[in-house]
Amino acid sequence: MQAEGMGQISRRLRLTFAVASVLFVIALAISPVKDLLREWKRYKRDYVSFAQTRPDTKRLLADYHADIDQIWIPDLGIVDRCTTCHQGITQPSLLDASVAQPFRMHPPIPHRVREWGCAVCHRGQGAATEVAEAHETTLAWEQPLLPVRYIQASCGTCHRGSLPETPLLNRGRQLLSELNCAGCHRLQGIERSEMLGPDLTNLGTKVSQQWIYKWLKEPRTVTDSSGNVTVDGYDSEGTLPRMPQFRLREPELQALSAYLSTLRANPVESLRFDPRVVAGWSKRPDLLAQGELRFRQMFCSTCHSFAVTRAGETKLIGGDIGPELTKVGSKVNPDWLAAWLRDPQSYLPHTRMPRYQWTDEDLYTVTQYIVAKLNDSDLLTNVPQLGAPTQTEIQMGRRMFVDKGCASCHVVEGIAPQRDLGPDLSAEGGKDLSQLEFGPSRIPRNLIAYIQAKITDPTSVNPSARMPLYKLTPSDLDALTTTLLSMTGTPAASGMQKLIVPRPEGTFRPAGEFSRVYERYKCSECHQFNGVGGTLAPDLSYEGSRAQRQWLISFLKNPQTLRPTLVLRMPQFNMTDQEAAILADYVGIVLQSPLVDPSKIDPKSFSPEKVALGRQLYEVKYQCQSCHTIGSNGGYVGPNLSNAGNWLTPAWIAAWLRNPQALVPGTIEPRRSLTEDEIQALTAYLATLHQSRKSTTGASATNGASFRAGSEGGGRQ
Amino acid sequence: MKSRSILLLPLFVAIVLGGACKKKNKTLAMDPQRNAYDSEPDWNDAQSVILLNYQQAQGKRIFYAQCVWCHADSTPAGPSNRSNLKPMPALMNDGTVLNGESDEYLQNMITLGGSAVSKSAMMPPYGQTLTQDEIREVIAYARAIAQPPYQPPARPGSKYTAK
Repeated sequence: MQAEGMGQISRRLRLTFAVASVLFVIALAISPVKDLLREWKRYKRDYVSFAQTRPDTKRLLADYHADIDQIWIPDLGIVDRCTTCHQGITQPSLLDASVAQPFRMHPPIPHRVREWGCAVCHRGQGAATEVAEAHETTLAWEQPLLPVRYIQASCGTCHRGSLPETPLLNRGRQLLSELNCAGCHRLQGIERSEMLGPDLTNLGTKVSQQWIYKWLKEPRTVTDSSGNVTVDGYDSEGTLPRMPQFRLREPELQALSAYLSTLRANPVESLRFDPRVVAGWSKRPDLLAQGELRFRQMFCSTCHSFAVTRAGETKLIGGDIGPELTKVGSKVNPDWLAAWLRDPQSYLPHTRMPRYQWTDEDLYTVTQYIVAKLNDSDLLTNVPQLGAPTQTEIQMGRRMFVDKGCASCHVVEGIAPQRDLGPDLSAEGGKDLSQLEFGPSRIPRNLIAYIQAKITDPTSVNPSARMPLYKLTPSDLDALTTTLLSMTGTPAASGMQKLIVPRPEGTFRPAGEFSRVYERYKCSECHQFNGVGGTLAPDLSYEGSRAQRQWLISFLKNPQTLRPTLVLRMPQFNMTDQEAAILADYVGIVLQSPLVDPSKIDPKSFSPEKVALGRQLYEVKYQCQSCHTIGSNGGYVGPNLSNAGNWLTPAWIAAWLRNPQALVPGTIEPRRSLTEDEIQALTAYLATLHQSRKSTTGASATNGASFRAGSEGGGRQ
Repeated sequence: MKSRSILLLPLFVAIVLGGACKKKNKTLAMDPQRNAYDSEPDWNDAQSVILLNYQQAQGKRIFYAQCVWCHADSTPAGPSNRSNLKPMPALMNDGTVLNGESDEYLQNMITLGGSAVSKSAMMPPYGQTLTQDEIREVIAYARAIAQPPYQPPARPGSKYTAK
């Protein structure tokens, strides 16, 4: 019985064993077959047959081998096998789009592809050997390929300064600092700036509670005469409202505006104008016209923008250094306005606004003009009746000021800014899916969609988010996304630290009397000095080598003479002779380029023959008139040279002709191979071009079109 | 015992087959613009957009810094210097003029200036201002925006050659 049973079991066992063995053999066989059919092996073989159809087969197959290619960057912890399939990646004959992937050449980039590989920029899984695993999100891999649109994020991971090749990244960094994101978030490479939003310590003396209410509800909304919102705080020129929109309920709006309207640390005294000026002007019919003329001459629009309606279309025109002023007359208290214009620094010590030199007449007429004309009587019609601030409102408002994070951007005496009010974003770009909270939103589950949803509407992923709403164009949204993706936090591999290219730091310390005038007129808000300052106006690091002292003084006194048709131009500060002389002397002595050597050019050698030769070179051989105007003929790309003899130093002209980019990096005038004799002759010609004051105005009148290229090109020369 | 081995067999088969099968993954929905470094509207048709790769995008940047003033009818600053010049320079996207010229010719023209190739001396030489790579980028950009579209010199086809 037992033996029989055992026999039966062993028969059954034998059968099971046989079946298992067959399956085992099959399973064993699957592995080599799978290995033989691997995707990358197929691409390897296909590349060979593809190369054979090309005329340069030999070169295409010079480095070919049948194994996996691997690039290893230990400093970054990157193992990159992408070139296993992308075998034509460095073959120039495979560049054009008619070659299908994976064999097309990568467009030439500043880094050697064979050295750095692909994953360092494109992300994805460098070590993967299957198409899907390398490029896409799988269960095991969370980092998909970065869409090329955002690839500049990878440049920014190492390059902390701005590169000309990465406009989107640069724009994103600019936005992050302009929108004061660092006020609430910790960011990589962007520090909290000294001045974020305006100081509110004295706000009650400046604006009414109604205006604060309106502003908190809908910051900077520009409406046209029919009440349509035409510029919703944003325009195509790239001016942004720095104040975002907070989602405040009615009682919150009332409480916060009540609290803010009670901030009056130092009451403004109404400015006492000379009674004769007021009496003389207040009755004159041309009061506002004169005010407007004076206002325009000061070129407030270089820093401030204004909504202008032309042909039914409302647009913002002007600069974005200061706030938009279309309706400022309905906003500020007239007494405050006059006091502010006379001496902005006494209200706000770190303001960017220059202190103009005023006469009582000018100040009175301009103030009257602003109050009367830059005004919108309907601005506050939608604001409900707000009673006098009650103690409860003020207390609630103060609490909200703290809770909403207002103190992150605005200064109010006695309220310290809360550190790290928003989440730390310095490693946002390297986050895995598991670290992201998508909340109730139905967006695709990836980092890019997450970042974009969060910026566009923070409550979509987190209903209790405190972050306010920012209005961004699609391209600015992409720019911000790119920059946030570039912030991958402290590098995991310590070797990466040495690959980081830091941002260059400028140094310029104005001294003595010059620094006083420089601070007063805020020169560095628009001009650069050795890498310090704004980019709106020409770089003045070498101005002392370029401009003649006499020209500089008359320009500072009356800046309208150069490029009279520009929209954004140097304001007329009404400098005193003494101030202009201080600036010109300092510029002439300190802001010198070592490349400009006055001893090499002798103005006495400018013989009529030399001048004539120079003129011939200018007009015939090099045809400089294609870009420059002399008299009334020529192009508008470079500056008008009619007055070059009074404006530029001969040494600068010669050095410029030798190598423009050496004096002003990035200037658009191409460098030519001129002989030394030609340089001397051209210098002689240009240095003897003089224009009397009378003909300047004549030329500017004919130069009708406003041409900003001139400002940029001219900014550089 | 028997039932157990019967239960085990399909499990074993399933594991083997499961391992052999390839995982299919959902790809990220991507619009083509997200897969281009930059883009430029077609100058002749504002509705359509031309996608640019890295090289073409760098060419676009250099074009808008250096060339746009004379080789386009509108510039970032407004009016163009083009109509001011005689002979009038070619538009950068004018395929009827540029498609017929080889890359090498354009490279020489930009490097050495118009007078070196018996054209107007108003076209200055850029050989000492731009690197050869940068000039190649500008040409790549001009090719990308050309209307009618530029066809590169024909190359033999295979299954990895599109069209």
